Amino acid sequence: MKKLLRGLFLLGAIAGAVYAVRGYLQGRSPGTENVQIVFEDGSVRSMASNSTEGQEFTDIARKLVEAGL
Amino acid sequence: MPASAANRGREMLMAERSGAGTVRELDRVIADLRALSEDIASCAVLSEDGDLISSSHGPGADRERVGAILAALVNLAERVARESGKGHISQLRIDTGAGHLLLVRLDGGGALVATTGPEARVGLVLYDMRNSRGEVEKALAEGSDQ
Repeated sequence: MKKLLRGLFLLGAIAGAVYAVRGYLQGRSPGTENVQIVFEDGSVRSMASNSTEGQEFTDIARKLVEAGL
Repeated sequence: MPASAANRGREMLMAERSGAGTVRELDRVIADLRALSEDIASCAVLSEDGDLISSSHGPGADRERVGAILAALVNLAERVARESGKGHISQLRIDTGAGHLLLVRLDGGGALVATTGPEARVGLVLYDMRNSRGEVEKALAEGSDQ
């Protein structure tokens, strides 16, 4: 029983690590923010797609992603 | 005017303004970046005036339209920076669901922009773009010296 629990714990830890690494490599931040601006001073502002400004960015970006650059 | 003729005219205008050597050098930098970062679907360089100087677009694509949309995006981002009291943006990342749009600001106001698919490793692509920024700035600076 102890062995089984230890195995499950290890499996969970590995799954969590894989998820975290995948998120890092894809540059995703938690939550629903899909627009991220990094300013010159290093500060970051994130916007959700359901905000007015976020929607403006997403609409323009969608056209460019569809058409290509 | 047919789109292809308009594109050729645009390319000639860009070559005159920026120097044919600069456009060739930028095309080379973009090709190198795309070879390095396989997740990049398309890539472009926008001048500080909002002109599309170099792009990975094939012939027949409407570069003028793409340039105008890109300039609108840069203006929007700069407006947000001004309103936030931050001066300029350094980097922009947008997840559209169908893919990502990534922008790295160049010294002097231009921008290096790329699009990727939805499953791209965006952090790595941005890292490669930041590493290529120096080469793009160098090519632009050499063009303006000519």
